[in-house]
Order: sequence, then C-alpha cells, then structure tokens
Amino acid sequence: MSKITRRDFIKLTGAGAATLALGYATSARATNGPRVVVVGGGFGGATCAKYLKRADQNIQVTLVEPNTKFVTCPFSNYVIGGMRKIESITQSYDVLRTKHGVNVVHDTVTAIDAAGKKVTLKSGKTLPYDRLVVSPGIDFKWTAIAGYSEQAASVMPHAWKAGAQTTLLHQKLAAMKDGGLVVMVAPPNPFRCPPGPYERASIIAHYLKTNKPKSKIIILDPKDDFSKKGLFMAGWEKLYPGMIEWVPGAKGGEVVSVNTKTMVVEGKLDKYKAAVVNVIPPQTAGTIALNSGLADDKGWCPVDPKTFESKLHPGIHVIGDAAIAGALPKSGFAANSEAKITASAIVAMFRGESVADASYVNTCYSLLAPNYGISVAGVYRVTDKGIVQIEGGVSPKDATDGFREDEAKYATGWYASITADIWG
Amino acid sequence: MRFAILKKIPVLLIAGVAATACSTTPPAPPAKPAAAAPAPQVVEKPVTPAAAANMANNCFACHGPNGVSPGSIPSLHALTAQNIAEMLKAFKNGQRPSTVMGRHAKGYTNTEIEAISSHIASLNKK
Repeated sequence: MSKITRRDFIKLTGAGAATLALGYATSARATNGPRVVVVGGGFGGATCAKYLKRADQNIQVTLVEPNTKFVTCPFSNYVIGGMRKIESITQSYDVLRTKHGVNVVHDTVTAIDAAGKKVTLKSGKTLPYDRLVVSPGIDFKWTAIAGYSEQAASVMPHAWKAGAQTTLLHQKLAAMKDGGLVVMVAPPNPFRCPPGPYERASIIAHYLKTNKPKSKIIILDPKDDFSKKGLFMAGWEKLYPGMIEWVPGAKGGEVVSVNTKTMVVEGKLDKYKAAVVNVIPPQTAGTIALNSGLADDKGWCPVDPKTFESKLHPGIHVIGDAAIAGALPKSGFAANSEAKITASAIVAMFRGESVADASYVNTCYSLLAPNYGISVAGVYRVTDKGIVQIEGGVSPKDATDGFREDEAKYATGWYASITADIWG
Repeated sequence: MRFAILKKIPVLLIAGVAATACSTTPPAPPAKPAAAAPAPQVVEKPVTPAAAANMANNCFACHGPNGVSPGSIPSLHALTAQNIAEMLKAFKNGQRPSTVMGRHAKGYTNTEIEAISSHIASLNKK
C-alpha cells in the first residue's frame, strides 16, 4: 500500500468509478483505492464514511470509533424526560460495515501524525491515510466552574454526551421528591446544540408537570439570549406557567461554583439549593483535535468553508461540532451536511477534479411537549465571508396548535430519517 | 422516459431547458392560476451535476436515504423531477403551505430547484 503514489491513487479511483458505472465492480478492486481514515463515528464521521463509499466504493474507508454502539444526543432529552427508552436512540455500526463496506474499528485515536499521514490507536496499531477526516465532537472545560469536575458529573450530570449520563439525569429526576428544585447550568457560546438546554428545560418541565407538579426549574445562563428564545418563552408560558425561570447573564445567571455535597449552585447574585443539578459545562473541540494542533487558541478548529480541510494541517478535514463553520450551528444536522460536502470534496480531490460548489442546510426541531414542536431552518452558502445563512428562520410566532403538532410529528420523522441516512 | 433522458444528458442542460420552458409556457397546468403569470427571473447561474448532488444530498437528512423516508416525513423517491420541482417552487412562492419547506425552498434559485429535482429523480432507478 505504502508504495502507491498519489498519482496512482487518482488513476485507480478513476478506474474504480468507470468500473462502477458499468456495474461490475468487485470487492477485490476495492483494496486498491485511496485510503481515508475517519476519526469519530457520530453524526459527522459516520455520515462522511458512508457518503465516501456511496460516491466511490473503491475508496478504502476506515472509521475509528471507541463505542460499539452510538447513543445520539438528539432525542436524548426525551430519555431524560421519560418519553423514550435509551435503546430507541442507540445506533449500530453493522449496516455501515456490511452494506456499505466501511471498515469500522472500535478503538481510540491517541495521536495524529499529520506529516507522516498516519494515526496511532490506543491498541498500538497505526493506520496510514491519504486523507484524514476528524469528527471528534466536543469536550468540556472541566475546570471552568469551581467545584465541577469529571467526578462531580456523577452527582450533577452534564448529560451533554449521550449514554450513561443521559440515564443518570433521568434517574435523578425520577428519584426527586415532588416540590424539588431542578437547577440547570447553561453554557456560554459556542456550544453543541444551541436550542438543546432550553428544549431540555421544556421536557423536564413536561415530566415534572405530569409526575411532580409542585417542582420548579431554574436555568442559570451566562448569556442574555438563546436560540428560538421567543418561541421557547411563549411555549413555557402556555404549557408550564410559573414552572421555568430563566436567569440571564445580565441578572446574575453566570455560575461561579457548585458544591456536590451541599447541592448548592452559586450564581453571581444568588445561591440556589437544588434537588437535582444539571451542569452543561463550557466546551471546546474534542480532545484529539486540541492535542493534534487542529484547534486555535480558543479551542475550535479553523477550516476551509468549501471543503472543511483544516487551515492548520492540510490533508486533514475537521467536521461537526469541533469545526468553526461560520454561521452553521453546532448541530447533528449541520455535521451531517458538512460531512456530505466534505466527502464530495475528497472524492473530487482524489480524482483531480475541481471541488463543486458547497451548499449546507440545517434544521433543528425542539419539542416543548410531546405534541408541541418548534423549529429553526436555514440554507447556507459560501461567500468571501465564509459560510453564511442565505435563507431560513424559526417557526411562526402565532402558529396554530395544529402547526405545533405537525412540527412535533416531523421532529420524530427527522430522527428516523437522519439516523437512517447515517447508520442505515 | 424522462429518467432515460436525464441519465444521458448532463443535469446542467436539462435544468437550462426546463427553466426556459417554465418561464414561457408551463408544461403542465399549475395548481393555482398565479403560477401561470411568469415573473421576470433573476439571472440564474448554471448548476453543475456535482453541485446539484451536493444540494440534493442535504434533502436526505429529513427525507431519508435517497429520498426514502422511514418515518413521518414524506418520501421523495417515487416522485418525478417535475413533481419535485413544482412542489419546491410552490413552497418557495408560498402557494403551498408548509412548516419548514417554505423556509428551505426560498434558499434556491429556480435553476437550482430544477437541478436538485432532476438529481433526486435520477437516483430512483439506480
């Protein structure tokens, strides 16, 4: 493998494409194509792996993901609120492996050698690549809030990476007595899933209204604004009057410290004694991106808006929440869109063709109750200012109950579709 | 028949022809009379097949892989290019009510809508 030059790769990929068009590609040929290693099997990485194979079976795609099953952050709020079981948001890599020919390796990338074009795995193996796609998601600034830490998360779950933390937060709510106070600590910008904390507050309120109606939720927020704020606030007033209090940064919403023993959360102005605390800490790009010199001094990865190729290390593409993607939000939908454009760009580069115009889309549904959905949708293009939103917006303010019900129905349809688009 | 033609001629050409046809004599009677009055079109850039694929791939996040939806969002795979284009244009100009599709469709020129629609329809037979 290592003896094949870049020029040969281009030739071979071209030949592969021609063979596919004639309809008699064989799996034996697939061992000759250029090699792409994808780091991370979430919304960005798994999409990119699948769409590379979809575009050209001849490309050798290896997806490195530590978990054998992937629990999605989208819809995890409904597990927290008891509306769904965690199994229903757990995705398998079997179809990527068997149907699409992706080599899925359950391991962790410990080092990226950009100059030598290879990655090292925890198991000690190395994987050479011609192009690398890094989709590491986010990690937390554990020391940003005094008293909070990885250990503290077992008492005050973040539940901002789905899995055991999601179940834990649900269990804490289930164990709480009626009349308890739930304190949510919202993160500063930028962070994964901009409407997520506020959808979570809504769904927790739905759970409490149904099961523990004397309880209350306080959201302590360092920000003075948030995604779909008008729609959320109007929905809270209608569905959960008096139940959710949002404390913005201007009113002391920034949290100074938490204490896991006393369950006290200290804001700039007030202290709150809580029964359940959910701390969503400040975030950075995933650790592997930071350790590999792919991130800037703020902890996020600058990329070319047309190809998501790193501005710091050519040959490496960074996609999903870790990337600085202009106006695109850090959402699973955006990661899916970025991954497809990146796959298309990589295929063009291997073939020596020019990279086609990029076009990105995002749609984020949020449920305020099982039959009350709202959305934000946008179409994004690349200009000399980077990735900009050219159209879109949020659901209408004065929509009918039927409209909200339709959007709740489409939220569920979206989940079924995007997970099939990625892991199916 | 349309599929056979689409597969052999670059999307760019078809899109150009369709857009021209649309601005003079609509091929099929539209659902509402307002669509028959052609508004002066802005100059629209041609769309390469690869750029059309890039745009169309975004549709599958909601409408399912290759437009086959497993859930409550309508599938696209059984529609013709003309069906898809007409619906997108109706979403774009507000004639067809929607939750999110109006917000999406406004982000594309008519030429792009034709190219996206042709691309999605071309996937049906693969």
